Amino acid sequence: MLITQLKAKETIVSLVGGKKVFIINCQGCKEVSFPEKEAAELQKELGASGKVTGVITTDYICNPENMKLRLQKHMGEIEAADMVLVFSCGVGVQTIAEYLEDKMVCAGCDTCRLPGFQGVTPLEYDCGQCGECYLNLTGGICPITACSKSLVNGQCGGSKNGKCEVDSNMECGWERIYRRLEKIGHLDALKCPTQVRNYATDDEVSK
Amino acid sequence: MENYTKYKLKGCDELVPLLSGVDNLFVVACNKCFKEFETIDEPDCGEFEKIAAEHGKTVTGSAKVDFLCNKTQTEKKLQDMIPEGTEHVFVISCGLGIQTVADLAKVPVYAAADSLNYTGHHGMALTKKSCDACAQCYLNVTGGVCPIVDCSKSLVNGQCGGAKNGKCEVDSNKDCAWEKIYKRLEKQGRISEFLEQPVQVRDYSKVDFKFVNNYVKSIRENRLEGYYGGVHPSERKEFTEHLTLKKFPDPEVVVIPLSMHAGAPANPVVQVGDTVKVGQKIGEAAAFISSPIHSSVSGTVIAIEPHGHATRGECMSVVIRSDGKNTLHESVKPHKDLDSLTPDEIIDIVRESGIVGMGGAGFPTSVKLKPAKPVDTILLNGCECEPLLTADHRVLLEFADDVVFGLKAIIKTVGAEKGIIVIEDNKPDAIELMKEKTADCGNIEVVVAKTKYPQGAEKMLIKRVMKRQVPSGGLPADVGCVVSNISTTKAIADAIQKGMPLVERVVTVTGEKLKNPGNYIVKIGTNTKELIDFCGGVTGDDITIKAGGPMMGFVLSDVNVPIMKGSNGIIVVDTDHTEEQPCIKCGRCVDVCPMELSPLYFAKYADEKNWQGVKDKKIMDCIECRCCEYICSSKIPLVTKIKAGKTAVREMK
Amino acid sequence: MKITELFERGEFVVSAEVGPPKGIHIEHLLEEAKTYLSGITAVNVTDNQSSVMRLGSLATCKALKDKGLTPIYQLTCRDRNRIALQSDLLSAAMLGIENLLLLTGDHTKMGDHPQAKPVFDLDSVSLIHAVKKLEEGEDLGGNKLVGEPPKFAKGAVVSPCSDSIDAQLAKMERKVRAGADYFQTQAVYEPEKFIKFMEKAKQFGKPVQLGIVIPKSAGMAKFMNDNVAGIHVPQEMIDELKKDKEKTKAGITGVEIAARIIKECKPYCQGVHIMALGWESKVPDLLKQAEI
Repeated sequence: MLITQLKAKETIVSLVGGKKVFIINCQGCKEVSFPEKEAAELQKELGASGKVTGVITTDYICNPENMKLRLQKHMGEIEAADMVLVFSCGVGVQTIAEYLEDKMVCAGCDTCRLPGFQGVTPLEYDCGQCGECYLNLTGGICPITACSKSLVNGQCGGSKNGKCEVDSNMECGWERIYRRLEKIGHLDALKCPTQVRNYATDDEVSK
Repeated sequence: MENYTKYKLKGCDELVPLLSGVDNLFVVACNKCFKEFETIDEPDCGEFEKIAAEHGKTVTGSAKVDFLCNKTQTEKKLQDMIPEGTEHVFVISCGLGIQTVADLAKVPVYAAADSLNYTGHHGMALTKKSCDACAQCYLNVTGGVCPIVDCSKSLVNGQCGGAKNGKCEVDSNKDCAWEKIYKRLEKQGRISEFLEQPVQVRDYSKVDFKFVNNYVKSIRENRLEGYYGGVHPSERKEFTEHLTLKKFPDPEVVVIPLSMHAGAPANPVVQVGDTVKVGQKIGEAAAFISSPIHSSVSGTVIAIEPHGHATRGECMSVVIRSDGKNTLHESVKPHKDLDSLTPDEIIDIVRESGIVGMGGAGFPTSVKLKPAKPVDTILLNGCECEPLLTADHRVLLEFADDVVFGLKAIIKTVGAEKGIIVIEDNKPDAIELMKEKTADCGNIEVVVAKTKYPQGAEKMLIKRVMKRQVPSGGLPADVGCVVSNISTTKAIADAIQKGMPLVERVVTVTGEKLKNPGNYIVKIGTNTKELIDFCGGVTGDDITIKAGGPMMGFVLSDVNVPIMKGSNGIIVVDTDHTEEQPCIKCGRCVDVCPMELSPLYFAKYADEKNWQGVKDKKIMDCIECRCCEYICSSKIPLVTKIKAGKTAVREMK
Repeated sequence: MKITELFERGEFVVSAEVGPPKGIHIEHLLEEAKTYLSGITAVNVTDNQSSVMRLGSLATCKALKDKGLTPIYQLTCRDRNRIALQSDLLSAAMLGIENLLLLTGDHTKMGDHPQAKPVFDLDSVSLIHAVKKLEEGEDLGGNKLVGEPPKFAKGAVVSPCSDSIDAQLAKMERKVRAGADYFQTQAVYEPEKFIKFMEKAKQFGKPVQLGIVIPKSAGMAKFMNDNVAGIHVPQEMIDELKKDKEKTKAGITGVEIAARIIKECKPYCQGVHIMALGWESKVPDLLKQAEI
């Protein structure tokens, strides 16, 4: 699951230029995130110029089978357009781009990572999928995501009043870890050997 | 289908030292997500228990849980799960699950597995990773091929010098992304456009955890506001919400089904050839749970025969040709004023007026008004959480006094302490008006609820407003509440004040594919086709017509069906062409189910005809709100399967 | 000369800090260092301090060394991955630079290139570990170095007056275990806190240099209280600074305060590290007042 943010209006307007455009909105992950109102407003403006050949709002365009079924009856409108503008995460845009290989397919959104995409619920904490779980050394708080610098050997000197140097609203991950370890009587974990991260590729880690 | 390995059990080299010095372990294993949905157990838990046993550890127990990262549900499950005497908890899941348990458990929690950096995890369970969520999409420059993921070096200004025979220097099996991009752009004649692009410099500050964290927080608050689950479908109420009610022109013929309510169909008390008047009883309640029906026109009964019905296929109906005069039946006259009526008299009026729940379910209102348990609060359901529909909204605005009168009548009948009118925050005009109308009623309150579907479902409404939980299989009265629909309440007012039985109702006729949407006061028995034609007809041929809203409405394969007591809307929308795909166990249905059920099991077990299984998963608690089907990424017709499951479970008894 | 040798001899080691300019002209920096810092043991050279891009630390160290000073090469994990870090360490050894101060580094968002990719491939602890391995003749990848391995004095930092002393001690211990030879501290304004910290830090048996930032004004003190991690200037000290209004006297109170702190803490530490932040000219006077 991913979060989408609308690209700047100027970016989209200049992208479209004077071209005829077919618009696809994907709201499959809407309950996770889709800038519904903003996108609608922008498309209304685009539509006012009379260059929009069609708009469809659907879901899960990343599911190629259903996406093809749904696009079928709009193929005429797509043919008539110079470009297809997709408001979805990067996965959706690429699924369409691959299907409409000869068409200029553009993205109307930027995609951000959503914590919790690995499981089902978006939560406030994340798992960095680092492949070498540190949670046992940290009392169950992930240092990869709870620390802005993803430090694995303890805090840096940057926290002030328990807050991260990067964002004073964010608690220092390592102070949280320390408190948790203290609470569960597991401060010994800090005496572990120096940790050096392994950035080997996915395949290597999976093996 | 490809399964994703989300995590793997740590090796003995790591587990053995981890186990040293700990004992009395409890093991929690996640059943994994984004995989082919099978109901067999994952092996990891057993393997771990074996290793623990080999090292002389006492395992106090183990549990396998679906979607361990679903905090709300896991919290409930964990409550009674961990036995006394447990000193340490070992979790086998991805990092999310481990952290969820670590936050909730009171004893030290250990990870027995490593989360893997697997490829592909967005949207549907994709077999390859294709988006890195860099927050600065480059696809517009690259013809829709992602340079961040597909290029080993994530180069954004063109290929490096490392490709050999079109293959990447890092992996000779991998195509050079930039060659792919070049070819795609060439094919589309966009090379010069690419060359003229300014130099791309990546902005790593865009992946903003603050934005994401705030966002996620608001999503969770929204999702869990008032009650667990629910969804926010596009409202699309703007087509009709500001259109005042119009009286629909009198039909020449009405077809009044003998069954427009829960329970036994009414018995006809007229015969072909009889002359009838408006408000005249033409069918009699056949049982305790049943309802009489009345003529909505004056004219002649021309047939009593089976006729097409929106929800039952066919139904015995009374067909009446209108004489166009709308002569009132002599029984239609005002009753005593509210103060002089006794509760039993009101119940009689409501029963004899054929009033049933007009939100769709059609449960006889008179039965509801005589609850078996003491009731302190009447909730007037003005949520109208179904997208597109605006019937109740218009009734609130245009019949405000009648609605307040009806509510007072219900409060009196049931002997409740107070009435609460609940309206969703997308209807500010109705909120303001009802507040004004009830300003001098000490025992009536207007509560504004944040929009969320299915807020109008009784159980959700009670939980949201009263913070009371209707028990499984129970009724609102079990927690001291009666919930009444807006139109029903207005019908009660009409029955008392005018003596008019339920012979007409407000219907929203709308949808993207209807030419002229509107809100109409329609006589019961009016043909749906006439309504659609009157509204200018439909646009396009690939359309779906539903009786009710887009979420809980019934698809009408034939529009030659009459408007009934529960017909709050007729909608004409685009047909969605999808095919059922295998469940990928994404868990979204679990996340949105307001009854906190696991809908994925209903589909799985229904396909296997495992009716005991669906029963054990509490299928009978399902309110058929369709949230699960709405969110399903595999387009599984869950509600159809659930209905089949419920029927089978009923037959088991 | 490695400053660890001085600690071993029981000397009270004094070091000061300079920041390279944003540009290639370092004549002024060298001049100031030569004039004011010749009398002290060693000079720290910061590594793109506060994530602001500047002239490199290594090149500046070399220039200082050529002028006869003893540089301490500061190295952070923000801008380089383990390959670049180890390579730069070898370069330093080749240039005869033997003193290191190994830090994690501020986040990229704190500086003048917030769009930059923060690296943090290693962190301060694993960087110390990497240096130790190099000294043992092997890189982090487990490959042997050719010839005699380098030898360094491996410095690390600690924040004795930070919010959570226990967490600081835990981190300090990790650094000691990884191979840190000596420590420099964040600026100290609360001697009692520092002394308390040192009582506990004694167990590690590693020399600690007291960190000093001369408080230039009440405004600066308040700014540090609001913005700088691990620093708290007590209110009495701010009030004292407020009295120092006459321009001619500017800085005198600050130097007095700094000297007082040094005197108070001296029995509990093995040296002092002065971060003059442009007031290099006041360093000799400060040391004199502190009786060093």
